[in-house]
Amino acid sequence: MKTSTATILREYGPFPDAERVHGVTFDGRHVWFASGDRLNALDPDSGEVMRFIEVASHAGTAFDGEFLYQIAEDVIHKIDPKTGQILSTIPAPGNGGDSGLAWAEGTLWVGQHRGRRIHQIDPDTGEILRTIESNRVVTGVTWVDGQLWHGTWEGDDSDIRRIDPQTGEVLERLDMPEGTGVSGLESDGAACFFCGGGNSGKIRAVRRPG
Amino acid sequence: MDSLITAAAQALASGDTLGALKRVALRDDAPALALRGIAMAQLGDLIRAKALLKSAARAFGPREAVARARCVVAEAEIALVSRDLTWPPKALEAARKVLESHGDRVNAAHAGNIAIRRLVLIGRLDEAEQALAALDPTPLPPALRAAHELVAAGIEVRRLRTRAARAALERARSAAQRAGMPVLTAEVEAAGHVLSIPAARLVSRGHERPLLLAEVEALFSGGTLVVDACRHIVRAAGAAVPLASRPVLFTLVRALAEAWPADVARGALIARAFRGKHADESHRARLRVEIGRLRAELSGLAEVSATKRGFALSPAGAAEVAVLAPLVEGPHAAVLAFLADGEAWSSSALAIALGASPRTVQRALDSLAGEEKVQAIGRGRARRWMSPPLSSFPTILLLPGPLPSD
Repeated sequence: MKTSTATILREYGPFPDAERVHGVTFDGRHVWFASGDRLNALDPDSGEVMRFIEVASHAGTAFDGEFLYQIAEDVIHKIDPKTGQILSTIPAPGNGGDSGLAWAEGTLWVGQHRGRRIHQIDPDTGEILRTIESNRVVTGVTWVDGQLWHGTWEGDDSDIRRIDPQTGEVLERLDMPEGTGVSGLESDGAACFFCGGGNSGKIRAVRRPG
Repeated sequence: MDSLITAAAQALASGDTLGALKRVALRDDAPALALRGIAMAQLGDLIRAKALLKSAARAFGPREAVARARCVVAEAEIALVSRDLTWPPKALEAARKVLESHGDRVNAAHAGNIAIRRLVLIGRLDEAEQALAALDPTPLPPALRAAHELVAAGIEVRRLRTRAARAALERARSAAQRAGMPVLTAEVEAAGHVLSIPAARLVSRGHERPLLLAEVEALFSGGTLVVDACRHIVRAAGAAVPLASRPVLFTLVRALAEAWPADVARGALIARAFRGKHADESHRARLRVEIGRLRAELSGLAEVSATKRGFALSPAGAAEVAVLAPLVEGPHAAVLAFLADGEAWSSSALAIALGASPRTVQRALDSLAGEEKVQAIGRGRARRWMSPPLSSFPTILLLPGPLPSD
């Protein structure tokens, strides 16, 4: 396993009226982040929140190319980012213990926080297709270039780790600097991760190795 | 944090306690237990709240020291508010250190504040004062700042420093207003009440009138020899002669001070001090002995001189003599008078101070406890008695957020 310290490229926030960050995703232009009662669209170049959708947003956020998915309480809402409308709702696999959401290969991947695992689910029905065990709490999930990464944050310790999607084995680990935690994880599809910073209200861009 | 915990924490923060409970009611993981504990405390079920917070503290993992420490602080605050003095202060101090070392200064200061409130509650004013001086209230948000200033005011009141008490109350008031909590503002107003109602009676040259606390303070610092019947101390020019353990001597000096500048007849002194109806030779001899003892005690402050019919008091430096008496007197009032210092007394110490039998004192304490005018702490030989604290700190809970991400 490769271990290194995460390099923080840029910090955004904290933002007014969005005290905490519970989930992060990227639609190619904006970083969407969940702050409890709204989804905020951040322009990563200017660092400004451009618009927001008022919707319950208690944990992970994902984008499938057209729609946003947002965990609220014990369900996952599918939201039209243009109108802010909730289009459909499926049960979350962790019954509310869910934390972290990603879209890949036509399915949703949901972190189950204290359950320390990641479920692959059918985005239409919520049916669990597969479950990967981790050995740490899961606070964010993302796929990039066929790699599955997830964030962990327990007390003072937080890192971003790449795991084998078949076995759950940890392949690579980026330790977050002291005092920074990961709540919500998304890649920009290239060399950068966007990480939610929990109660700091910040979003951090972290260099993806390789 | 996971989704439902976030939702529940959000509901709790916005005052929707039942909404928070509903979301985590069926969960038994550590954050859910902690949230349920805080919610139950806010709903007033302190027993259930304590049990939940205790299990939450146990359930948090080894890496979640901050979350665990916050549970311990919440437990301590609930114990304090429910007057459970068996709760271990060492656990609170350990939690305070954990919070401090992890940079959670707000909750560390809150923990320190709770520890001081506990010291005041168990009548350890010196220690409370020291701890208060050592605590930096700067990181405290308005609500906790108000609570902090109320403790300070409570101590100043007991120390008879009314100017400092008023200043602390003023800081508490503005902090409570900044916090925007009407309940807290009401608590501050109630605590301030003690400064605007009579605290004692002044008896001087045959007249008597009620005194405010500030007037008591002024009396003590002025040029008057004060026979303080609230604490059984004779004071003058910064000197104090405690006579709490010498009830006969105190009765004599009080009688002499009440009559000042006139003298008091031997028979009257004997009747008051020895409760004897007739003054026979043996009583007169005993009176002479006690007056001799009193002279020795008061030496430098006042002279007790023999007159034709009895004895008279003449203050050494002071221009005036006055008696400071409790507002209400009677057998039980004397007990209350001693407890008014806010310290913790054993019943045997009270019996000595009052010159009464331990059984009499015990009966008085029991009946006062029944009226909730006194409270007992500890058990058996370690049992101590105190007056309930002046509303010197809020009875509402200002609990820490249980989770580190709050």
